[in-house]
Order: sequence, then structure tokens, then C-alpha cells
Amino acid sequence: MVDTPPVRQRVGRKKTPVPGSDEEPLLDVVKAPVPKPKKTVSAKSSSTAVYSAALVACTILAFVTRFWKINHPNEVVFDEVHFGKFASYYLQRTYFFDVHPPFAKLLFAFVGWLIGYDGHFLFENIGDSYPANNVPYVAFRALPAILSTLTVSVVFMTMWESGYTLPACLTATMLVLFDNAHIGQTRLILLDSTLIFSMACSFLAYVRFYKHRDQPFSRKWWKWLVVTGIALSCVISTKYVGLFTFVTIGGAVAVDLWNLLDYKRGLTLQDFAKHFVARFIGLIAVPFFFYLFWFQVHFAVLSRSGPGDDFMSPEFQETLSDNVMAMTAKTVNYYDTITLRHKETKAYLHSHPDRYPLRYEDGRVSSQGQQVTGYPYNDTNNHWIIIPPVDFPEETKLNIPVRNHDRVRLVHVVTDTVLLSHDVASPYFPTNQEFTTVSRAESEGKRHNDTLFEIRIEQGKGKQEFKTMAGLFKLIHNPSKVAMWTHTKPLPDWGFKQQEINGNKNIAQSSNVWFAETIPSLTEDDPRNHVAPKKVKYVPFWKKYIELQKAMFHHNNALTSSHPYASQPIQWPFLLRGVSFWTKNDTREQIYFLGNPVGWWLASSLLAVYVGIIAADQLTLRRGVDTLDKRTRSRLYNSMGFFFLAWASHYLPFYLMGRQLFLHHYLPAHLASALVTGALVEFIFCLEPADEDTVATEKKDLPATVKQQSPSLVGAWIAFGVITVAVFAGFYFYAPLTYGTPGLTVEQVLRRKLGLYDLHFAK
Amino acid sequence: MATPNIRDQAYATGAGFQNEGLRERPVGVPVVPAANKVEIDDSKLKRKGKDEFDYESIIAPLLFTFLAFFTRLYKIGQSNIVTWDEAHFGKFGSHYLKREFYFDVHPPLGKMLVGLSGLLAGYNGSFEFKSGDTYPPEVNYTFMRIFNATFGALCVPLAYYTCKEMRWTKGATWLVTLMVLCENSYATISRFILLDSMLLFFTFTTMLCFARFHNLRRESFTPQWYAWLVLSGLSIGCVCSVKWVGLFVTALVGLYTAEDLWNKFGDLSIPIPTLFIHLVARVVGLILIPTAVYMANFYAHFTILNHSGPGDAQMSSLFQANLKGTDLTDAPLDVAIGSRVTIKNMGYGGGLLHSHIQTYPDGSGQQQVTCYHHKDSNNDWFIYPPRNHADYDPTSPDLRFPGNKDVIRLIHSQTGRNLHSHAIPAPITKADWEVSSYGNLTVGDEKDYWQIEVVRDSISNDYSKIRTLTTAFRLKHTVLGCYLRAGNVNLPQWGFKQIETTCVKENKPKDTYTHWNVESHWNDKLPKADVSSFKSPFLWDFLHLNVAMMTSNNALVPDPDKQDDLASLWWQWPILHVGLRMCSWDDNIVKYFLLGNPVVYWGTTASLGLFGVAFLVYLLRWQRGCKDLTKEDIDEWHYHGFYPLIGWAFHYIPFIMMGRVTYVHHYYPALYFAILVFGFLFNFFCKKLPTKVGWIVYGITYAVVIGVFILFIPISFGMKGPASQYAYLKWTNRWRIA
Repeated sequence: MVDTPPVRQRVGRKKTPVPGSDEEPLLDVVKAPVPKPKKTVSAKSSSTAVYSAALVACTILAFVTRFWKINHPNEVVFDEVHFGKFASYYLQRTYFFDVHPPFAKLLFAFVGWLIGYDGHFLFENIGDSYPANNVPYVAFRALPAILSTLTVSVVFMTMWESGYTLPACLTATMLVLFDNAHIGQTRLILLDSTLIFSMACSFLAYVRFYKHRDQPFSRKWWKWLVVTGIALSCVISTKYVGLFTFVTIGGAVAVDLWNLLDYKRGLTLQDFAKHFVARFIGLIAVPFFFYLFWFQVHFAVLSRSGPGDDFMSPEFQETLSDNVMAMTAKTVNYYDTITLRHKETKAYLHSHPDRYPLRYEDGRVSSQGQQVTGYPYNDTNNHWIIIPPVDFPEETKLNIPVRNHDRVRLVHVVTDTVLLSHDVASPYFPTNQEFTTVSRAESEGKRHNDTLFEIRIEQGKGKQEFKTMAGLFKLIHNPSKVAMWTHTKPLPDWGFKQQEINGNKNIAQSSNVWFAETIPSLTEDDPRNHVAPKKVKYVPFWKKYIELQKAMFHHNNALTSSHPYASQPIQWPFLLRGVSFWTKNDTREQIYFLGNPVGWWLASSLLAVYVGIIAADQLTLRRGVDTLDKRTRSRLYNSMGFFFLAWASHYLPFYLMGRQLFLHHYLPAHLASALVTGALVEFIFCLEPADEDTVATEKKDLPATVKQQSPSLVGAWIAFGVITVAVFAGFYFYAPLTYGTPGLTVEQVLRRKLGLYDLHFAK
Repeated sequence: MATPNIRDQAYATGAGFQNEGLRERPVGVPVVPAANKVEIDDSKLKRKGKDEFDYESIIAPLLFTFLAFFTRLYKIGQSNIVTWDEAHFGKFGSHYLKREFYFDVHPPLGKMLVGLSGLLAGYNGSFEFKSGDTYPPEVNYTFMRIFNATFGALCVPLAYYTCKEMRWTKGATWLVTLMVLCENSYATISRFILLDSMLLFFTFTTMLCFARFHNLRRESFTPQWYAWLVLSGLSIGCVCSVKWVGLFVTALVGLYTAEDLWNKFGDLSIPIPTLFIHLVARVVGLILIPTAVYMANFYAHFTILNHSGPGDAQMSSLFQANLKGTDLTDAPLDVAIGSRVTIKNMGYGGGLLHSHIQTYPDGSGQQQVTCYHHKDSNNDWFIYPPRNHADYDPTSPDLRFPGNKDVIRLIHSQTGRNLHSHAIPAPITKADWEVSSYGNLTVGDEKDYWQIEVVRDSISNDYSKIRTLTTAFRLKHTVLGCYLRAGNVNLPQWGFKQIETTCVKENKPKDTYTHWNVESHWNDKLPKADVSSFKSPFLWDFLHLNVAMMTSNNALVPDPDKQDDLASLWWQWPILHVGLRMCSWDDNIVKYFLLGNPVVYWGTTASLGLFGVAFLVYLLRWQRGCKDLTKEDIDEWHYHGFYPLIGWAFHYIPFIMMGRVTYVHHYYPALYFAILVFGFLFNFFCKKLPTKVGWIVYGITYAVVIGVFILFIPISFGMKGPASQYAYLKWTNRWRIA
């Protein structure tokens, strides 16, 4: 058994020496109690001092790289459009909808609130100027930059806690510190910085938790368990890729529990149950409630109606104040005159006495019926009376509300004709049905069926009443089952450049949705005008949460449309393609989101080396040849195995995802691959285990500095040096594309153009 | 190794009692290496068999086979109408008889067998097999169905022998065989001219080979061992040549082989050269032989179908030119300005350049340009000069022949619009530019111009002319510098699932999806030539057809707007949530309802869960130091429990992820593996019961399986008269029997 690697010495600093074998944080073998090390305080503290100094240096460098020219560009860049906007919505407290959970967005809002920003700017377009709009964007960007700085420190500490030598810790740190992708993604108003920081923290916390496994249920053991849980919760409350972090930690916990269950460990089933329940509470229950907490904050902050209303049910919308629906929704009765408006194009359903031409340009013929069009302005020709299929008896015909799934007819007021659709091709779409009108007499007679339409309220329940504003609906032609639809392409001159209305066979299409806007026939004294504005309703948190969660999953899955800079998971480890974030033509400046090719290729190739080593070890073991000592193998399988699992679980699931993917989805996996790289540098370049003091106990008394200069570390230091120089060179070379300044000449751009990098200004 | 106190513990739980005999066994056979032990067991078994020779091993399979033929054949000709997918597979069989080239997403073996049955039945291939039509008297459909049903019936003895190979008790063997025999869905689907009975048959043979080969694992390199290895390979080749679903059982055998090799690799007593021979034997037996079988099927397919038919357009132009009766060979050789042509993409599975009046919903909103795999007048294009050249004059006898580096315009003959591209991202492949049809003869701009770049010409080195069929060229957009490309990406429903056609920015001369050739060519001013002497190599046709099959398969996705009553979803299958009406539900026709035996379905599905629970319990108890299982028990779980379970998962899980339309019969191969898991559990646990109790349990199970099968037999044998008579079978509302 071995002991006293540098990590231990850190424990010494805290003056709480921990018994056991924490130099192998994820070692799961059964072992006899290890005799407590006898160490001189000076050796411990001097080694700790070296590590601490390195940590401080890395943090400072990280701060510099993250904050360098953070005010450039002073324009909205890429997805800042979204996340800046969301912060503004929080500050204005208007309800919005997004597929990501609220935690990271709330953090931005918190920053804005701290500095007293009112959220007036809505980040509408990439390239909008910040100074001109008076937006404190540097403060916003400082948040991710700080978290990203701390991520670098956490990476270093994770390696340190896992018991790696200084060059190994530093190598892993350098790969993240000088990585253009980490820097580029985390100095802008984006969520990934929070995500990556939380993920790194959960690794660190779990390693620390695991190091206390010899004192289960102690105060520290509980502390780090719960910290792990909270860090995990922050990851999944930022983006749902946090699930992969759960898989990573969950995998390690499962292995741990499995070993605890081993009867040779001597735990009773009761003990085991306690272990199990503790982990369940710490890693599942606590994170879940923490996750819910952010939703409660989300609902509490967003109390006013806003752009997200449409995604929610009417019931939900009535919980928001200033909601148009809550204010003005009025029930539509039969024999009301109403105006109907298309939700997407905002055109009113319109008709006028002119007729469709007999023959269209392409030679097809029409019914020559009266034109029915879409018209964006107010006009009496937009007025329609809604009547039942068969007239109600005169005396009782008033005050009967129209309901969902009712069949109705629509009478055009000015021409006194009835809306109709039939199996004649529409002017532009041979596949869609023409809409026209016929006289009342015909509507009562042989064309009766063709004038019947069904009101199908979106997400309508049963026979609910049809209301203005609130009730989005589709107008389904009853006999032929087509939906009334319009689009923006104007009709030719014969249609006065108004919009074509036709019957769409694809009923499910979301652009078939209309709403009734007003009831012009409503008299002043109608009781419907005098309903007191509804109070804001209360819906229990659980109901709201479940509804929102469902909508989020639904819309996340619907994000399948393609994007010019979307990429495939297979391209990421090879860094084949980046994303253009921002360009400025006059200065030839651009931000092209891209990793540090040197660092990425190194990390990816070392992942392959790791798999190769494991495969070689398995093959040789299978043939009875044992090349590794027990400790090295344990490190290889447990500690590095954990990092490799982290990489795999943050990367491979993307292959199963149908939604559009971008290079930044690889950043969590890249961080894990950096950890593997650091660990492998030690494995490859330290010929003996880093601490050979078990072999030669007398060395224990040597000062730590002497030990670090012992031959076993020289290789690792050289490797570290070479890697750092190369990584820094790569970083420096691509820095103009990361920081967006200075502008590059054509040759400079072309020199940086590798693989499929679609850089701008290459001509 | 079991310490006394652990044993006491086990007794205390009660579980130990049943295991008593088992637990003692290791003591009885002390310290014998595992390999020898199994052989001893083997010989013991055989000896036992000889001592008290039971007639079961002869009578039982005969009886089961007889019953299988009875249940599959009884009243098979009762319904004289084309039922369900007979419309497809009967028609494909007809194509073989007429030797006309057709295209289908499935590999050819099953359909060639249908063709063979038609040949044997004396059918000449003239019937159209329209769904719901009555068979004319000259079509001996009964014989064709019997031919198919034979495959289905033979599954029953195969299941019997597979269980025997797994050394299961008689009770379990009969149980599995009975469950296959009394499975209504197997019985029903085997009675029609469909591929499923063949697919099942070859899946069953593969499992038999698998079990047999596993038994022979200690007799490597004996003639028997080689024979079964080759048989496994042939069986795998056949199952994959019926439907690609066969790849799943192939994966199961592959997994077993990998594990077997890994174990042998760890056995230090085997020298490396022997290991190498093991590896080579498996590569030959399980990879090369199946591939050869698969390719041989396609070779036969191409050899038989040597006439032009409905599937021509799926294939390369050269292939089509070699079909008899094609109109391709009867075309002018050199393409001139003013020629009407169809233009074929030369990539694997490429289609014809196509345009239609429908427009793009996003992007430019102009007329769509796609690639289409069927002959259609919308595939025709006129070759025109650019507007800055002398206009084409149809009346003048002058001929201009565009060649390498010449610029042309392509005008769509039906709509008169120009092939056009512009700097708007394509609808699916956003990195490329969109290609549309725009303008007309006079309206247009320089974005209608395409430069010809000849890639190669198989008959000439003279690139100054474009020749029908033989010249491969690329079309470069003169303004954007991009190349016309169609890369087997299906458009959504708005594009009718046709192939997206784009203009790709990267200049990759080797990308065959940017290569095009002229396929059909009409020009009255030019003399006709015969260019059919150029053959396309078999391997190329083979790959081309397979890529085309894959592309079409991917396009078979459910249309969200279409209500498909017949399709069902993966989660509905194991719980027998729905059945399927195989024909119209008129009172006066014989109706068949595709539904499984509820006991078999629900029982096997429950057994999958039970298997998982039992496994977990054993695993946890093992980790707690309870030695419940002997080495033989663990082997039994491993090879006869786990492999069927994995087989079930392999045949089931892909359908969860698959985007295409799925039907109930997609579960049938998986069901067999579930039945095996069910049989395994019975075999394993009933062994522990006292013999009499065991037989009582088996007896009850047999009775229930058979009873429910007989109850539901009308849905398999055909329901005559109004469906309401059979309402008693409608156990849930989703079973639309009545």
C-alpha cells in the first residue's frame, strides 16, 4: 500500500490528516487499513505551497484570457440575441418561453438587477449596438467570464484532489485555460459558462466526497455529498445536457454501491441501505427540489403577460397580469358580426364583389366566384356574421354562444353572400381548395353543405365557448376537411395584391390558425361589454410546472430545422468546423467560434491512446501477461476511467439526438477529455508511480521539492512544457478569431483556414 | 466455497430448500475442470437416452409437424381474394415470371421464392394482384399459399429441435414448440403470399444452427463442427436476403462469436495458430458465406429480371440500357442544343433530375427541383444556349453540340422554367445553395447558366460532345461556382419525399453525387444509335440497388396527416394492444384478423420482466456471497437465457428508434425470442419442482395455450359471415374484430 502523494500533503495543511488511501480517489479495491503516514509538516506544506501557487497562477491567467477585451465587440453577438433578451424579460417581468430551464438565465437577470438595469433593450438582431442602446453588456458578459475563470481553477483542483502530479494537473489545466472555444463561448452572454462550471464543480465535489469514503456519514462526507448534488442540480437547471453529468456521477455511484454490497466488505444490509438512501437523498432528491426551486422563482418573477403566453394553455395565461385574453376576451354569440384575423400574417378575412378571373396565367380555370382574400387593414369588407347551419327560431335566436366544434356559416355583410369552399383549385395552389362566396339562397339550397365550417379551437376542451382574442381556432371546411389558410404571396392585379385565401389539406399545419378579433356589432349596452376585468387567477405550482415542462420537451424535440453552421457530433473531436458568431465588414473583424486545434487534437488523440492502452491491457491480461502494477492499473481504470466516462457520457448521447447540434455542445466533453489528457501525461511520462516512498520509505523525509525533481517527474515536466508551448501557440494563432480583433488580411485568414472552417474575409 | 453459515442463511430464506439437490452437485463431482465436466454430462445424457430409449424424440416432432401443417394449411384456399400485402409480394412474384425489372425495398430471396411458387403453380405472371381483387381461375393461389405456409409450418419442428439442442427438459421443449404452434399470429401470417413466413423460417434455422454450434464448441474442427458453421453462414445469408430484419439475428450470432473468440483468446492452453484458425473459420463461415449468399441472390435477381419494367429508373442508365425492351438504346448518341433529355444522377441510388409545379415552402419559394426515381414527363429538360448566344431555332437545320466547358441552360419541358440556383440555403442541407426552377424562355438571368464539366466518357476521349449514357459530367453554376448535387436526402412531405437537389460549394471532382449523365434523349434532327453494348459491372449494380433500397426505406416514414389504421407503434406490440384487419370487413367475404395468442403474448412479455427480476435477485445475492447457482446453472442462464433475451432486444429496440412506418408483424421475429425466454424460465424453475408438481404446472400451461388458440382459431382460419358473430373474441375495444 502506498501513501503520501502530494494530495495528502494538502490534507496536512488543513491539519486533519485523513487515514486511508485517498491518493487513489476512485480506487474501489478492498484494502486493509493503511498505517497513518508519518510526515514532516514542512514537506507537506511546501508541496502544498507549490500546488497553491500554481493554482493561483492559473487562475490569474484564466482571468486575463477571459476578460481580455471583453467589451469587444460592442454589438449583439450570435445567441446573445436569445439570452440577453431573456434577461431583459426577467427584468421587465414579462412571461417568455424557452426550451432551457431557468437557472442560468436567472443568474443573468440577477446581474442586471444588481447593477440596476431595467431591461429595456430586447437584443433583437445580431449586430445591434450596445452603447447606442445604453446596455450594460460588460456586466452581463462578466458573469460567464468569471465562472469560466473559476472553471479553470476547478479543473486544476479536480486533478489535484485526484492525486495527480503537478505537471499532470497543469497539463489538464492548460488545455482548458488556453482553449479558444472555452474562451470564445464564455465571454459572451451565453449559458454554457454556467453549465461547464457547474459540471466541473460536480466532478470536484464528487472526488472530494469519494475521498471521505472511509468515514461514511461523517459531517464532511455529508457536506460533499450534498455539494455534489447541488452542483449537479445547477447543471441540469441550466440545460438538459446536465442529464449526462448525472449519468457520469451515477455511473461512478453505481460502481461504488456495487462494491459496498460485496459481502467481503462486511457491510450489513442495513448499513448498505443507509448508504443507498443517503446517496438517493443527496444526489437525486436534493437536486430535484433545487431544480424545482428555480421554476418557482421563474414563475414568481414572470408575473406579467408577454411573448411566451402563446405557448401556454389559456388557464395558465390567466395567471398572468395584463393579459389581453384576461382583459378583453368576449364570448361570440350567433348572429354577431365579427372580424377574423390570421394569426401568422395578421390579415383579416376579406371579401369584395370582384370575381376570380376565369383563367389564371398558368392556364388553369377558376369557378369565377366572388373573391375571398386576406387584407391587412380595417375595412367593412372584413365583417362577417356568424350564423348556424339552420336558422334558429326568430324569438330565441339571440344570445346563444358559439361553441367549440360547432358548425357555422359565415355571411359577408357588405355583399350578403355566404363563405364557401369547394373542390376547385385555388389561384396559386393546385393542391388547395378555392374559397369563394355564394348567395344566401344557394347557401340554403343545393350548396348548403359546402358553406358549413367547423370551429375547431386550438387545445379546446369539449364544447367550450368561442371567444374573441383568446380562442385561437382553425376553420375546417366541413364536407372536404380542409383548413382555411393564407400566406404572404400577394395575388396578381386582379386580386388587388391582397392575400390568397385557400383550403389547406394539411389540417395540422400551425399556420392554419385564426382568431376572432372584434365584434363590431356589439352595442354599448350589451352585457358582454360590462363584465368586470377578470382577476389574475391562481394555479398551483405543480400544475404550472408540469405544463411548462411538457411544453419545453415538446419544443426541444421540435428544434430539428437545420442551421447553416450546425455540425455533426463526429466532427467535433476533430474540430472540423466552427460557427461564425459575428463579422464586421469595415474592419474585417470576425468572431469564429472554434477550439484550439492543437489542444483538441491532442486531447482527442490521447482519448484514442487511452482506449488503446485499456484494450492492450485487456488483451495481454487475457493471455496471462501482466504489465502493470496494481496501483497503476487501479489509477488507469478508476480515476481515468471516471474521466473517460465523463467524456463518453457527455459526448456519445448526441449521436442519438435528432435536434440541431453545434460545436459548443462538445465543450463539456472537451473538459473531460482535458482531464484524461492530464492523467495520461502522468501515466505515460512517469515511468514509476509518482510517489515511490512506499518502496523507499526513507525518501519520505526528503523535502517535497527534492522529490519533485526526482527523475520520475522529469519526463512529465518536459511533456508539460512541450504541450504548453504548442497549446499556447495554437491559442495565440487563433486568438484574433476568438476575440474578434484585430481584423485579418486575406493571407492571414487563409493561413488559419483548415478543414471545413468557413471563415469570412477569405477572399 | 460456500461457508456453512451462508448455507444456513440460504436455508433460512426458504429458497435453499429447492436448491438443495443443485447445491449438492458440486460436492458430488469434486474438482473436475469445467470442460471435462460438461463432456461427462453430455455422455451421461446420451447414455441415458440409449438406455431407456424414449420414443418421444421421434413421435413428438412428427406429431408437432403434422399439427403445424394442419393449422397452417387447413382451409388455406378459402378466401379467393388478394389479401393484404399479397398485393405487393404476389405482384413482385409476377415480375419474376414476366422477367420485368421492378424495384422494392426488400432483398430478393423471399420474392424469388414467391416467383418460384408461381412457376410451380403454372402461373404466367399476368395477374395484377390488386388489393381486394378476386383471383382468376388460372391463378392457382392455393398452391402458392401452400408453398408459403410450408415455411411457416416448418418453424414448429425447428423450434422443437432448437430446444432439444439447448438440452431443455421435455416439458419445456414441448412448451416452446406448442407456443410456436399455437401462436395465432404465426399461423395467420403464414397462410398468405407474404415474406414473413420465410423470414421466420430462416430466423428459426439460424437459431437452431446457433444452438447446435454452441453445443459443438468442444469439438472444434471436426467435420460436424465445420458443417454446422457453414449451415449457420448459409442460414444467415438467407435470412438477410429475405428482409434486412435478418441483420438483427446476424448481430446476435456475431455477438456470440465475439464472446466465444474472446473466451478462447483467454484460454492459454490454445496456441496462437489454433486461435488464428478459429478466427479465420468464423470469418469465412459467418461473414464471407452470408455475403456470398446475399450477393448470389442479387445476381440471380439481375439475371432473371432482364426486361425493362417499372423499377428501371432506380438503376443507373447503363444498367437500364442493357434491359430488353428499353427505349434508352434507341436514342441519338450526341446531345445537341434543343435536345430533350432526362438527366440521371450517377451516385449510388441516384434519380432523375425532376421539377414540378409545387414550390419551396421556405427559402426562395420558387418551383422545386428534386431527383425522382420514376419515369415521368416532369423529368424532361430541354438543352438551350445561354441568352447571350444565338437563340435556338427549331426550324433551322443547324446543329450545335455543347461539350466540355460549354455553358448551357436547362429548360423544364412541362413548366418552361429554367434550372436556377441562387445564394439561398437549400431546404435541408443548409450549407448548400438551393436549386429551383425559375423564369421562363425569356424571363431569367445569368443564374440560369450551367457550365458542363466532363468527368469521363466510357467510349471516347473526345470531350467536345456530350453522349447519351456514356458521358459523365458535372454542372457548374457559372455565377456561384457551385456544382449541382443530389445526395440521397429525402425532402419532407411537401417535397413528396423526393431527393433534395442542391448546389454544393465545395469542388470535389470525385463526388459521384455531382456526376450526371444523359439518360433518355429525343431529337428528331439526329440519327438514332445503339449504345447498349456497354455493360455496367455487377458489383456496381449491386451497390447501387442496395443504396437505393436504403434511401427508399428511409422515405417510408409515417405521414403525420394520414390516418393509417393499419400501422401501429412499438409499445403496442408486446402487450397485444392492437390487431390488424388483413382485408375488408364486408359480411360476405372471409375475414382474417392478424392478432396473436393473448396468452403467448402476455406470458412472454411478463417472462421478460420476470427474467430481469430473477437475474437481479441472483446477482445481488451473489454479491452478498450466497452461492445459489452452480457453474452449469450460470452457463445455462448465460447461453440459453441471456442470448434469447438479447435476441429479443435486438429485434425489438431498433423498431423503437426507427422512423419508418411499423406494423404488428414487425414484432414476430422478436416474439420467438421472447418465447424462448419464457421456455427458459420454465425449464429452469420447473426442474427444481418435484417431478409431479412440475408436470402439473406444465399441463396447465399447455392446456391454457392450446385452449386460447382454439378459441381464437376463427381469426386465423378465416371468419365467414358477419363479423358480429365473433364479437366474443373482442376482449378489448382495440381489437377491432367486430
